[in-house]
Amino acid sequence: MSDRPLHPRSALAGIAVPGRYGAPGSEPGVTIAERVGLGLATVAARKEHGEALKQAVANVYGIDLPEGSRIVQGPRVSFVGYGPGQWLAVSEALDGEALACDLLQNLKGLASISDQSGGRTVLRIGGPRARDVLAKGLPIDLDPRAFPLGSAATSTISLMGVQIWQTDDTRSYDIALFRSVSASFWRWLTASAGEYGYEVVGAGGA
Amino acid sequence: MSSQPNRLAEGGAIDRSKTVRFSFDGQALTGHEGDTLASALLANGIKLVGRSFKYHRPRGILTAGSEEPSALVELRSGARREPNTRATTIELYEGLEASSQNRWPSLKFDVMAVSQLFAPFIGAGFYYKTFMWPAAFWEKLYEPMIRRAAGLGRGAGVADPDHYEKAHAFCDVLVIGGGAAGLAAALASARTGARVILCEEDFRLGGRLLAEPDEIDGRPARDWVEAAEAELESLPDCRILRRTTVQGVYDGGTYAAIERVNDHVPLPPAHEPRQRFWKIVAKRAVLAAGAIERPIVFGDNDRPGIMLAGAVRVYVNRYGVAPGKRAVLFADNDDAFRTAVDLAEVGVAVAALIDARKLPSAAAQAAAERAGARYLSGAVIKRVRGRQGVKGVEVRDASGKTESFDCDLVAVSGGWAPSLHLTTHLNGKPQWSEALSALAPGTLPPGMSVAGAAKGAFGLGSCLAQGHDAGAGAAAACGFTGGSGKASAAADNDRGTVSPVWQVENSRGKAFVDFQNDVSVSDVKLAAREGFRIPEHLKRYTTLGMATDQGKTGNLNGAAVLAQATGRYLGAVGTTTFRPPFTPVAISAFAGHHRGQDFRPARLAPSHGWAKEQGAVFVETGPWLRALYYPLTGEEPQDSVNREVANVRTKVGVCDVSTLGKIDVQGSDAGTFLDRVYANTFSVLAVGKARYGLMLREDGIVLDDGTTARLAEDHYFMTTTTANAVKVMQHLEFCQQVLWPEFDVQMVSVTEQWAQYAVAGPRARDVLQAIVDPAHDLSNAAFPYLACGNVSVGGGIPARVYRLSFSGELAYEIGVPARFGDALVRAIMEAGAAYGIAPYGTEALGVLRIEKGHPAGAELNGQTTAHDLGFGKMLSTKKDFIGRYMAARPSLTDPARPSLVGLRPLDREDRLRAGAHLLPKDAEASAANDQGHVTSIAFSPSLGHWLGLGLLAHGPERHGEILRAYDPVRGGDVPVEVRPPCFIDPEGERLRV
Amino acid sequence: MRIKCPYCGERALEEFTYRGDATVTRPASLDPAAEQEWVDYVYFRDNPAGLHQEHWHHSAGCHSWLVVTRNMTTHEIVAVESAGEGAKP
Repeated sequence: MSDRPLHPRSALAGIAVPGRYGAPGSEPGVTIAERVGLGLATVAARKEHGEALKQAVANVYGIDLPEGSRIVQGPRVSFVGYGPGQWLAVSEALDGEALACDLLQNLKGLASISDQSGGRTVLRIGGPRARDVLAKGLPIDLDPRAFPLGSAATSTISLMGVQIWQTDDTRSYDIALFRSVSASFWRWLTASAGEYGYEVVGAGGA
Repeated sequence: MSSQPNRLAEGGAIDRSKTVRFSFDGQALTGHEGDTLASALLANGIKLVGRSFKYHRPRGILTAGSEEPSALVELRSGARREPNTRATTIELYEGLEASSQNRWPSLKFDVMAVSQLFAPFIGAGFYYKTFMWPAAFWEKLYEPMIRRAAGLGRGAGVADPDHYEKAHAFCDVLVIGGGAAGLAAALASARTGARVILCEEDFRLGGRLLAEPDEIDGRPARDWVEAAEAELESLPDCRILRRTTVQGVYDGGTYAAIERVNDHVPLPPAHEPRQRFWKIVAKRAVLAAGAIERPIVFGDNDRPGIMLAGAVRVYVNRYGVAPGKRAVLFADNDDAFRTAVDLAEVGVAVAALIDARKLPSAAAQAAAERAGARYLSGAVIKRVRGRQGVKGVEVRDASGKTESFDCDLVAVSGGWAPSLHLTTHLNGKPQWSEALSALAPGTLPPGMSVAGAAKGAFGLGSCLAQGHDAGAGAAAACGFTGGSGKASAAADNDRGTVSPVWQVENSRGKAFVDFQNDVSVSDVKLAAREGFRIPEHLKRYTTLGMATDQGKTGNLNGAAVLAQATGRYLGAVGTTTFRPPFTPVAISAFAGHHRGQDFRPARLAPSHGWAKEQGAVFVETGPWLRALYYPLTGEEPQDSVNREVANVRTKVGVCDVSTLGKIDVQGSDAGTFLDRVYANTFSVLAVGKARYGLMLREDGIVLDDGTTARLAEDHYFMTTTTANAVKVMQHLEFCQQVLWPEFDVQMVSVTEQWAQYAVAGPRARDVLQAIVDPAHDLSNAAFPYLACGNVSVGGGIPARVYRLSFSGELAYEIGVPARFGDALVRAIMEAGAAYGIAPYGTEALGVLRIEKGHPAGAELNGQTTAHDLGFGKMLSTKKDFIGRYMAARPSLTDPARPSLVGLRPLDREDRLRAGAHLLPKDAEASAANDQGHVTSIAFSPSLGHWLGLGLLAHGPERHGEILRAYDPVRGGDVPVEVRPPCFIDPEGERLRV
Repeated sequence: MRIKCPYCGERALEEFTYRGDATVTRPASLDPAAEQEWVDYVYFRDNPAGLHQEHWHHSAGCHSWLVVTRNMTTHEIVAVESAGEGAKP
């Protein structure tokens, strides 16, 4: 038995089916793509080791840890601040549990690391009406003046906890939600995006 | 049939090229695009639109706005039927269906109208006085009667098929109202670059400007409105929300608004909501909600055809409708008498201007001359002729002489009162203004300013100036000091001398103060005589100011009558408190997306899909959906549970326990921290071991329990109950951040990260050994009871195994990253097939734990202590921990407290019921003899009879005693034997094999 | 009501969970003589008509415990601080 591989399954498997939905039109108002296979891990600074942690992250991952609720993108790993001394590390290069293993090795004694690669569904929501859709659930001002590139926030969408951040596309947002509410979130998202027309892009797309 | 006989030949802001078909009480009618239902009904000569609430009196259209108390109709049909909608705000659309309310068998002949004959008996406080005695009549007679009579329209009775949604918006300046002042405010603030939201209740911007022949900046006001609208739309940071009513003001600059996105079309287009509930956060707000005209109180002042003067001008000028053929004006201000000129200009005959003021007014006199009408000053209407519509009025002049005028329209005005409701939502107190003879805004919500008529400035020039200043000021307060442009200018209209007339003494017929609730002058006077002297009390006693309009047109007159009846100065009488919402809001709009299966988000375990495939029946456990049991084809629920339990006791079962709260506790002080939050000790737990832990609240009551495993020197993995996961995390964060911030400890929830399965039963090891990668030895010697450790499955996927048992059998829990959960449970089922594995649900889980005497939710009920549950010995005496001090109080350790026991029926055929009271064997069933209760029950397939757990006074000392389990609700009265809580394998040998 | 979380910025009331009086301090003594101190800490609360300090948890945000200084009669919030290390000596 044990030699049989176990295959991962997205919480949106069979739910997020690629295609064009909602109100018809030439260009969809919203595009939705699940970012699958991401490495995700929480990083919490050990007491009195905040500075050393910053140094280590700079050395190993080549970036400065963000101070507040922001995202800093690194070549291999990005860090999203979600609380004082706490970050969500996100990586495409180090997928699944590999990210937590890597962090554990490099930041041992400086931070507490927990693998979260299975616990989140990450969606990239873009398109000209992405902000209008998110306004239907997210009680945060996403106007670029209030939420410039590199911003991140932890909040709720339609009663579901989310982390949201924006990297380099002013129309596009990454949203990490708890895996267990993925189906509920999808119903909210598609009901809200319907009037603008939306396209579900195949897994891994952007 | 002549189409729209009362439609004027020209004029109005309607699109005459577009004819809209609609029906009222089944009658096919037409109107035009740009009409409201009210204007279209009037265009068709229909004045009688409903019956009143209490007396079923014929009622027409009083106003042209959302303050309408009388013209309430049922809109649409079937599942979309909506009662009590105001004809004055319903935008006409193709195929609109409306019907009148509160009448039977027909609007024109209503049987219940006879109740007018009993009117003397249903005055103020009628419900309170009549329906008091005998008490038994309430349920059977009075309440059904009141319910049938109360409420005008009928609800649909079925679920609303349309979609509603919520939305958030943020801005610097929120402008409430899109009339002259609001447009000026929006222009002035938006021009500075500030983010502006303009909310207008109407489907068209302009407010009164649509209804008055005014000029702004030397051109027609309507042209100015169009230019203002175009400019606002061209500004990128200005958003105009039409058909949007701001309903409430909340702390922190938060405003609630309802946008009627698709109420004006036959059906909401696919994918679009019917309504949208906006939560707007604004740094500053400008209230420019205008003013509401006040009727004058006189006998039969509710007859169809009696209309507010301002509304008459709206119907004539905005909708191109003549609300009558021959009019009489009755007012106490010059503004209202301008109506005569507007009417005359469109060919409506004006019989007379009845000026209630003692001194004649030159302006009113001039208006009368221009309209070719008689002018009577110091005169009042003493009688109205006509029942289902006005036919004429009798007027008493200053000398007491009576004169009669034929007419089918009476335009009434007692002057205007600021629409200040939103200023009072945060406890703001309006102030009486002698100059306005009305309440004016007093203290304002933080960040709000008021402009225009809402502030008591009724002249157009003043409205524009105030709006501009308020808009520029609001933007400046947000840091936008750029140019706000030039303020527009207009002349102020002269209102003339203000000497308000509230009511006509000695007029004939019922004189109504509140049309919607049928509250008359005599009701208010009676209430005053009976001691209801405060408006709040008057409201509750007479219903004055209740229901859909909340007294928008009636409150001021009510206060005036009350002042007079109690001999007080009107300004000292006060008012009732205005609360949100400003106008009625559909429950669906409050619910938004959150209805049906989306009432709240459902949390699904990683292998939910697999469980569904197995035919599982699910149950809500907190926010989670968990498998309750897995019925085989044709199996009864109890049989499924029995089978699942037996399978665990004899073979092996698998249960999804992913929903348990899971918390990673890390850091060099993690052990010390756990010692503080658990009643027992964790710092000495060896790495690779797990332990049951008990958490108390600071008051000594049990908070939660669970197992915590030590994965590394500085890494513990805690589990909590499913129901308390969020509460426990919050509690731990309080302890970490506030009580002991000096500890090096970090916590994060990993509930979602781990899919976790309990594999339990005599063959559990066989199954699990086949699942883990070959390097891992799960033998009893290598991996004894309470061991834990990292393993891998499926060729290198990291997993954790804990040898824990809730069932009392040999058992393990295995966790993998959640995305592998579905694959793992399938692999477990496959590996377990040879051993007879079957999944078991939470119901079997409950039976297994009751057989083992483990307390759970029904015992951890927020009232029990560690001693009550038999865990007294776990309370460490060597350290401080949350709840330690208070748990030691004598009252919490008293053996007389109800404590955990096992129970089994003396007659093994008897069924036990949770909730049954425990009484001494031969004692009478009384509260005094109550010694505890049954907390949990189960049919034990292992023992072949029902058994239970209970909390019983002196419980542990009473094993062997026979008691009554008395259940008066379900009729059970069963002799039970008190036992130790654990019924199966009390020595715990099975779980250590 | 909107609370300005020191980490997340200004957020709506719905994101926060109220706990209560932030002016009470957990007694250090386990001595039987400290009973009144414990009773005061666990049960007794002032309800001033004016400024008060309260513990709020940013439960839908950064999970920080905050000390919110709020006017109990107007809901005006005059200060928000992290209840954690910053507030401790």
